[in-house]
Amino acid sequence: MAPPPSLPVQPPNGPESRPPVKAQKEMSKAERRELQEKQRAVKAAAKAGGSSSQPNQKAAAKQAPPPLTSNAMPKKGGKLADTAPPRTPAAPSGRNTRDVKSATAALAENVPMNARGLRIFSHFGLPKPVSLAKGDIHPVILRLALQFSNFKITGANARCIATLTAFKTVIQDYITPPNNTLSRHLMTHLSPQISHLVAARPMSVTMGNAIRQLKLEISGTDIDLPEQDAKKALCQKIDNYIRDRIMVADQVIEETTGNKIKDGDVILTYARSSVVEKVLLGAHSEGRQFSVIVVDSRPMLEGKRLLSVLAEADIHCSYLLLPALGSVITEASMVLVGAHSIHSNGSVYSRAGTALVAMLAKQQSIPVIVCCETYKFSEGVQLDSFTKNELAPLGDTFASFPLTKPRDTLTLVNSPNLEILNPLYDLTPPTSISAVVTEVGVIPPNSIGSIPLALGRLL
Amino acid sequence: MAPEASTSTSHRSVDVLVSKLRRRQVVGSREAALETVKVLRQVVSRAKFSNIDQLVGLIRLVGRRLVEAQPKGNTVRKILHHIREEYNTATKGTASSSSAVSSSKGVFSIANFVLQGQPRKQPVAQKSEAGRTTTTTSMSMSVRENDPHDPDSFAKSLKPVLMEAIQDVLDELETVYDNVSKNAKDHIHSDEIILTIGHSKTVEAFLKSAAHYRSYTVIVAETSPSYSGHEMARSLSSAGISTFLVPDSSIYAIMSRVNKVILGAHAILANGGMFAITGSLLATSAARVHSVPVVVCAGQFKLTPLWNLYHEFGALDFADPSSVLGFEEGRLVGKEVEVVNPYYDYVEPEQVDVFITNDGDHPPSSVYRLIKETYDDEDHEL
Repeated sequence: MAPPPSLPVQPPNGPESRPPVKAQKEMSKAERRELQEKQRAVKAAAKAGGSSSQPNQKAAAKQAPPPLTSNAMPKKGGKLADTAPPRTPAAPSGRNTRDVKSATAALAENVPMNARGLRIFSHFGLPKPVSLAKGDIHPVILRLALQFSNFKITGANARCIATLTAFKTVIQDYITPPNNTLSRHLMTHLSPQISHLVAARPMSVTMGNAIRQLKLEISGTDIDLPEQDAKKALCQKIDNYIRDRIMVADQVIEETTGNKIKDGDVILTYARSSVVEKVLLGAHSEGRQFSVIVVDSRPMLEGKRLLSVLAEADIHCSYLLLPALGSVITEASMVLVGAHSIHSNGSVYSRAGTALVAMLAKQQSIPVIVCCETYKFSEGVQLDSFTKNELAPLGDTFASFPLTKPRDTLTLVNSPNLEILNPLYDLTPPTSISAVVTEVGVIPPNSIGSIPLALGRLL
Repeated sequence: MAPEASTSTSHRSVDVLVSKLRRRQVVGSREAALETVKVLRQVVSRAKFSNIDQLVGLIRLVGRRLVEAQPKGNTVRKILHHIREEYNTATKGTASSSSAVSSSKGVFSIANFVLQGQPRKQPVAQKSEAGRTTTTTSMSMSVRENDPHDPDSFAKSLKPVLMEAIQDVLDELETVYDNVSKNAKDHIHSDEIILTIGHSKTVEAFLKSAAHYRSYTVIVAETSPSYSGHEMARSLSSAGISTFLVPDSSIYAIMSRVNKVILGAHAILANGGMFAITGSLLATSAARVHSVPVVVCAGQFKLTPLWNLYHEFGALDFADPSSVLGFEEGRLVGKEVEVVNPYYDYVEPEQVDVFITNDGDHPPSSVYRLIKETYDDEDHEL
């Protein structure tokens, strides 16, 4: 484009502000925003890479979708920045713009090379920071969202119970505005709360099913019921849901699975499932003699929690990390794992690593038993771990690296050509599973699709 | 015994190497092999022996000590093999000294059948039956064993040839990475996604060499508890290869997108199986399920004539458990908690598709032939 306008307006010494100011006059709004994102990313990258990986990630993620347009951008931005230095009186600002230009150019070169790799994994839910709450979010929900995004509450059952308990408080504090009915307005009141939770961490299938059931109950509320009674009834229904679909279901599963544990068994489990923990503690309290092998892995290293609970109960345990599984698998007599959700073709969506454990066990003809309540059932078929997954935040959030390892030998942040992915879930195909224990019975994996029929209603 | 007493100084270097191996101060199979060769070179150069058996016995002794420190006596076996070959070329007459001929006399075995067909570096000892023909080495006529007047003459005349042979082994070891990566670009194509685990220097050289010609992506699994995958990822990305670093738990999850699995080996066994870093069994099993080819890059010095009959899953060496469950979890350690941290996995031959060595590419089913060519039968048990 033509030389920059020679307006006498010279903004005061803001070295970084100079090129954008000049550019804003020439480029369109979208291009301006892109250039700013790029420069922000460059600045973040220039800052010794460690502190904030978020803006880097966001910019990187934003760069992935329009790789072609972004290629054109740096050239234009570069050319304009080029004409900027001769005008700037201050030498450091000139150097800075040149740095920005060269860094932008370098980043542009990286983008097409990384763009392919980024695209393959770009649909994974990148962890986003909890943004400002839009609208009126109940403090209980705010707290819960923070707990979710910091992984203080983990596990399908725990998250669902926490969500439902929080909703009980929200419903209690809810007041129907005039000229509205509870059955119609409450849902619109709850929607932004739900979106806020989803923004913190993608919703689990358990939460989804529970909320769907809640919506059904709300819309079925009798219009003539006084507000307080309606709210009490809803809270009662929530309590019933938790009691029937989770607590009692867990008890039934505990009994059924406990009957399968014999004296002298060696039970192998992976990471931490609340149901499996209950099963093991229950069987131990009934006096059965068995030992447990706890297999654990990054990124969450949840198995340590299970290990401490079992050790407190004086159950003999072994603890090892996932790669060492090959050496101990032959000693196991049974594999017990939990699930995040199960699908109608019998595949189990659970913590990343479960698929490996189930695969190796099946190869050794060791029974793999999945303990799963029916409310985790999800319609639809998932084909592989890619269609739906979640990434854990980078860095050492879970303090999962051993203290014996010096931190500078580890890679904790992204760098050019290197990206860190921590998928949290994976999909175990039905061929690796022997049976699924639910509260309606012990079911082989290919019959999972008939669970809704077994329950007598549509889930 | 005379030979032993005279090699007291070289014993010291053997002691140093043994203690270094025990304390795992020598990192990497190639480094261990190089050190072993250097020590053996010292031993041979200082050795005084009157006949070949004394020399072999001496080297065997040293080898046994090294194998106790770190169970891989391949370099020792290889050197013994080279020494015997040189000796055979040099002497060329006495039927008893030629191991190939003696074993083929009247013993029908497929192993010998295989050997007969192998081209040898020097003219095969069978030719010697035809009488003393002109030989390549001029000193062959003058070699006399067990000469009572001059016990050192045998040693002195043979030593230069032996030192050359050992130097060959050393050269081969030093160029291992280059030779393995020679055909790297034929094995990797553009836009492929490769999975690897841990930090194998052979695989690193292989991938970097292919990166000169192709642009592709590598996914590195962390490989806890050593987390050597981090170093590998950093090294590959600094060479310009687009890299992803993932924890081991997601190996199955990403396997559906991976085109090839490339691993390193610690030792390749006689049946075609291998010992490799823990986590290799996970990667190869998942690859098998998804029908992804598994390629193993290893130098030929990793071939071992041993079998793995009794340890189905290769927990033959354990590492420090504090990297699995640190001492800060002291209250757990007090209870009945057993922490396991094995070093190696055993991978069956059926799970590997090809071994890429500095000597070419081989399927696991022909590993036994390679071992026959590289080592002598008597050395299988040091």
